[in-house]
Amino acid sequence: MGVYIKLPTPLRRHAEGAKSLEVSAGTVGDALAALCERYPGLRDPLYDGEGKIKSFVRVFVGGKDVAELDGTGTPLSDGDQVSIVPPVAGA
Amino acid sequence: MVELTDWELDKFKRQIQIAGFGEEAQRKLKASSALVTRLGGLGGPTALWLAAAGVGRMIVADGGDVTPSNLNRQILMRGDGVGKPRAPQAAETLKRFNPDLEVVAHSANASESNAPEWVSQVDIVCDTSPDFRERLILNAECWRQGKPLIDGGMNAMEAQLTAIVPPHTPCLQCLVPEVPDWWDPKGFGVMGAFSGSLGALTALEAIKVLTGYGQPLLGRLLVYDGEDMSFDTYDIHKRADCPVCGG
Repeated sequence: MGVYIKLPTPLRRHAEGAKSLEVSAGTVGDALAALCERYPGLRDPLYDGEGKIKSFVRVFVGGKDVAELDGTGTPLSDGDQVSIVPPVAGA
Repeated sequence: MVELTDWELDKFKRQIQIAGFGEEAQRKLKASSALVTRLGGLGGPTALWLAAAGVGRMIVADGGDVTPSNLNRQILMRGDGVGKPRAPQAAETLKRFNPDLEVVAHSANASESNAPEWVSQVDIVCDTSPDFRERLILNAECWRQGKPLIDGGMNAMEAQLTAIVPPHTPCLQCLVPEVPDWWDPKGFGVMGAFSGSLGALTALEAIKVLTGYGQPLLGRLLVYDGEDMSFDTYDIHKRADCPVCGG
């Protein structure tokens, strides 16, 4: 099933500048895995040494933080948007 | 509650006219005070719009000097002020724009040593530093003193904004439990019109929290993109293990 991943500005350089891309995935974890398979350079910015999503990286589906849902096991429906949102402090 | 003079009633009549705002909110603004830390492309417009709206007293702080490359966005500075400290120039510009404003300038960035005193002297803090550590110091101090913090940040043409109001919302440490290892404060470009848009929205959130007008971004994170003008808001939550707000 097709879902859309929205990449934040700081991570786009690891994805050939892509702002949004479509992957086939049934869960948030599958979507992020598909993303990193396509762009391996995203693994380091997104995951810690234990393979967990870094503590400061928020992932949202339908405006909801997946940490408040089922985490990486949060199911996705066709057409869902997965937004990756790390904090920024530029001024 | 302070009263508005005839001059102030005339000066602010167009915002007093806004349904739900009115004279009472204007009096609250006059009686209120704000700290704006850093006076760059985001903090400068934030301070200017707070001054324009009629906040009564402001502390502005920035430990840097103006450089030529600041001048595409730091609208409180002057071309002939290159090489000179930012904070006094900002205070002078704000005072020129709104002579009724009481403004104190500190040529220093927020730190663990000065944050307790600065935060204690104001009703709200607008944090616009490019340094996460500085933001987290202010967050902890605001939480300790029960003061609201408006946190806006940006990266190139993408911006984030939320209103942190102890004890009701998540705090900044919930969103930034550790400083991103790949954050580079000068690793992206800045368009003044875009950082200025975030400054305006940061000031608007501060005005809403100070006056009770509207619905501030409480427990919500606004993320917007100046390139394609997409605006999204996300629900944000406290972390149960947060060392600052306790989750």
